[in-house]
Amino acid sequence: MSAVVFAHHAMTPAERLRDAGWIAFVALVLGIPLIGLTTVDAGGRLEVATRFGLLAVFVAVAFAGRLVLRYGLDHARARRLRRVQAGTEADDGRALAQRVVTVLGWFALGAAVALPLVFSGNRYVVDTATTVLIYVMLGWGLNVVVGLAGLLDLGYVAFYAVGAYSYALLSTQYGWGFWQALPVSGALAASFGILLGYPILRLRGDYLAIVTLGFGEIIRIILVNWTEFSNGPNGISSIPRPSFFGLEFSRRPAAGEQSFAAFFGLDYSPMQRLIFLYYVILVLALATHVFVSRLRRLPVGRAWEALREDEIACRAMGMNTTNIKLSAFAIGAMLGGFAGVFFAARQGFISPESFVFTESAIVLAIVVLGGMGSQMGVVLAATLLVLIPEFGRNFAEYRMLLFGAAMVLIMVWKPGGLLSHREPTLRLGAAAKATEGGR
Amino acid sequence: MNKTLLAAALAAVGLAAQPALAELPVAIAGPMSGQYASAGDQIRKGAEMAIADINARGGVLGEKLVLEVGDDACDPKQAVSVANTMVNKEIVFMHGHWCSSSTIPASDVYYEADIPMATVSTNPQVTERGLENIFRIMGRDDQQGMVAGTYLADHFKGKKIAVVDDKSAYGKGLADEIAKAMTARGIEPALRESITAGEKDYSGLVTKLKRDGVEVMAYGGYHTEVALILRQAQQAGLDLTVMGGDTMTNSELVTAAGPAADKVLFTFSPDPRKNASAAPVVEKFRAAKIEPEGYVLYAYAAMQLFEQAATAAGSTDYDALQKAMREGSFDTVIGNLSFDAKGDQKAPGFVVYQWQGGQYDYAR
Amino acid sequence: MAYALQQLINGLTLGAMYGLIAIGYTMVYGIIGMINFAHGDIFMVSAFIAVTCFTLLAAADVSSIPLALMFVLVVSMFFTSAYGWAVERVAYRPLRGSTRLAPLISAIGMSIFLQNTVQLTQGARVKPIPPVIEGGIELWQTPDFTVQIGWSQLLIIVTTVVLMVAFTWMITHTAFGRQQRSCEQDRTMAALLGVNVDRTISLTFMLGAALAAVAGVMVTVYYGVVDFFIGFLAGIKAFTAAVLGGIGSLPGAMLGGLLIGLIESFWAAYLWAEYKDVATFGILCLVLMLRPSGLLGRPEVEKV
Repeated sequence: MSAVVFAHHAMTPAERLRDAGWIAFVALVLGIPLIGLTTVDAGGRLEVATRFGLLAVFVAVAFAGRLVLRYGLDHARARRLRRVQAGTEADDGRALAQRVVTVLGWFALGAAVALPLVFSGNRYVVDTATTVLIYVMLGWGLNVVVGLAGLLDLGYVAFYAVGAYSYALLSTQYGWGFWQALPVSGALAASFGILLGYPILRLRGDYLAIVTLGFGEIIRIILVNWTEFSNGPNGISSIPRPSFFGLEFSRRPAAGEQSFAAFFGLDYSPMQRLIFLYYVILVLALATHVFVSRLRRLPVGRAWEALREDEIACRAMGMNTTNIKLSAFAIGAMLGGFAGVFFAARQGFISPESFVFTESAIVLAIVVLGGMGSQMGVVLAATLLVLIPEFGRNFAEYRMLLFGAAMVLIMVWKPGGLLSHREPTLRLGAAAKATEGGR
Repeated sequence: MNKTLLAAALAAVGLAAQPALAELPVAIAGPMSGQYASAGDQIRKGAEMAIADINARGGVLGEKLVLEVGDDACDPKQAVSVANTMVNKEIVFMHGHWCSSSTIPASDVYYEADIPMATVSTNPQVTERGLENIFRIMGRDDQQGMVAGTYLADHFKGKKIAVVDDKSAYGKGLADEIAKAMTARGIEPALRESITAGEKDYSGLVTKLKRDGVEVMAYGGYHTEVALILRQAQQAGLDLTVMGGDTMTNSELVTAAGPAADKVLFTFSPDPRKNASAAPVVEKFRAAKIEPEGYVLYAYAAMQLFEQAATAAGSTDYDALQKAMREGSFDTVIGNLSFDAKGDQKAPGFVVYQWQGGQYDYAR
Repeated sequence: MAYALQQLINGLTLGAMYGLIAIGYTMVYGIIGMINFAHGDIFMVSAFIAVTCFTLLAAADVSSIPLALMFVLVVSMFFTSAYGWAVERVAYRPLRGSTRLAPLISAIGMSIFLQNTVQLTQGARVKPIPPVIEGGIELWQTPDFTVQIGWSQLLIIVTTVVLMVAFTWMITHTAFGRQQRSCEQDRTMAALLGVNVDRTISLTFMLGAALAAVAGVMVTVYYGVVDFFIGFLAGIKAFTAAVLGGIGSLPGAMLGGLLIGLIESFWAAYLWAEYKDVATFGILCLVLMLRPSGLLGRPEVEKV
């Protein structure tokens, strides 16, 4: 990507100081209005309070931090340069990394299966892991649209909402069960995907982004305002939980039903349901993974990637770009819908507040931070983005600050995403070798 | 500041040196950060004081209370996460959450984990779902709307009254009830509107009010929007009186709306600061430079409720505690508390207040 | 009729503000082809700076309103453009030349970061200032309705028009404008011809931020209340405005802003106020379906 630099100019100490001094100056300018000065409420009106001590600390930290950072960066660069010159940068590093990722994947799967058994008494861990898996699933769904087909979608939360609300309404109004409602809600979400996709096929890039963003908002506003349909801002509560082949997870099952605990002769514990829910989303997520990876090897999956790389070439090859785009939207939406159904079933309560733009942004961030198109990357990024704010609870108000900073830093550090190798599923030559290798 | 820290540290060391009493974790949860952080702050201050007092009296059943604080930022998803954390910490009592939309999903978690909770959330749904662990120490939105609507119908006869809400669960519920109560008294709202909370421009609404000659606006929502609407009404030369709900207790309203805040009426529970039984506690808060406004005394009362119920039950087991709360009658700083079968408090809920020069008092 | 005129004035004021913010989006998009999601939050920072300045001035007993306004504008523009510069330097420059989505995510992160920085350093409470400019002109008096335009509304509309003219002149007639346009066309070629691309991009960000600062000061004067959350909604609306007008086009951004302001206020005035955002986005979709590059945007030339 960037040109190889053969010479390395080492900075003199004076230059380092000047550089850090400049950063300290910038920090001072940035710090004065927000850190140095603040307004406090003084009985009905504001007064300006100064915090110059804090400002001085901030500037000093910026100065010292810059010195250290610059020094570290220079050393890293010098080392890399030496390696490049020595020609030791192994080309098979990529293959190795690939293998590591595969091993890691199996390891993660093992850990995911074992987790509730290890933490069977810990509600918090199982619950947070469930949240991670919901985001993994959303990430994999959006990955189809953004990562594979290259269509920027900022309104993914709309399909999540469609799935959640269709399950909530089907179950509370018509008494449908989780497993009955799942395919129907998925199909509904998929048709919404087509509905959205159809009018905007001609749009490209960022125009697409704003329209999808608008679509997400429209769905949310309708949910808020159409009270007769969605119960408006009050949301829908008392959504039934999924049952285990007809066995409910409740202390006092409804008349004529048997509870899971009673059937298996166990003592009732709310953990049983949590663990069951965890395995449900795990199975759903794994099914999604298998489904998407198989799709990638089918003509339609190849077509998505081709579309992402070059739309004009696709058309020149006589591919029907309309159908390709619509299928990507539909399948991505369907997966989002499944995740929504599960979300509604797990929370037992949904309201439009859960489907705001920030949610779309976080899912998109998961896909991009993970490395577009990389399934393992999504897992990694989802875990990170859910866990950073959770760990951050100890830092209370610094939580979201750290979250934002982490997003910027990861992106700057690895612009292609954490697992960024974008490997074509089909490679000339390599593919031939692979077939020989007996696939 | 540093001295207090030092003193606190010394006190902590001193406590640690004593033979440790067994500890009983109780929790509060609410918006400690985000847009409604000031309410969370009030809850925290009230609860901290209450626990210090209870521990000074020797704790509950011989055990010292320790306070856990959960921050849900009024986001339902975070509320569930907080609830799970609290269950892990094995708390025996929860005071929270604050937003109805957080209380509802979180209460399911507490219910499953056998944790009784006392909340100030006003949405009827909170106690309508048949969960036996919830106790509401505040009135309900339908009562609140009834009081506000009746007051409007009686005091502003012949004036045009608009009913506006902010589309939040709380705001819409309240506004609907106000409109219902007004209609029941034979007064139709001149205008029924919704606005989007978080925007800054309400000049469209103000112009509409002006066109229809509206003089009074009943508003379901939070205080920030009311401040903006009042300011913009003033700019447009519209003399507007606002009737709001319990969220208008926030003194931010006065800072933001300026003198126009004197035009704000609102419903809130009878001021506990006026209770004779609360006087010593109020004194104590003021001595600590905390004005016991808004939810401060409620949080204090919630802890008293727990103390008295646990003492009456002689244990902190869920079944006993829950039964004691449901059947007993408790003497707290917000007055006498007892609950009906749903868990709603029996005492009458709301009176009408008015802001006056930075303080609020019963409306004349 | 009088009512419609009043709503027109309200819509124009709102639209002018959206337009000012939208210019920042459009310029950045034009030059590096990315959506600067943090722009709304830059605007929010500037509003906070304005509040601090106004409070300082009130404490110093400055009574001349024009003087106070000039002072606040200059100070706010200076500090805000420093923020614009820093955001570009930290979050976007390292990502130049990588995928199209990387800077977008970095921008979303930056937006969250700025919001929380302000919340932490300035507090979560709303920040009010006493009314700066009161009163207005009564334009038209009918028996049951008086149309009036506030001085602050007038100020916003006039400032916006003046800035637009000045800005267009700068882009079309000055050396910086030429450099800016050349970078938009082809950055590599511009660099080969001796244009300092880095500097031009930095300056673009600073100018965008300075315009957002003007909008921030105006919002503070007009509404008098500011909180750390205002950037988000204003940002989304302004971004919509930029796209509606044709992203990359300066007059387009202004036109888009005005249109969105007018759609919002007329929809809310005559139809259902609660669905006004649906109307905004719905019209955006319609326009884009008919003209995929916005109202005044150049159609994208597809090169193979």
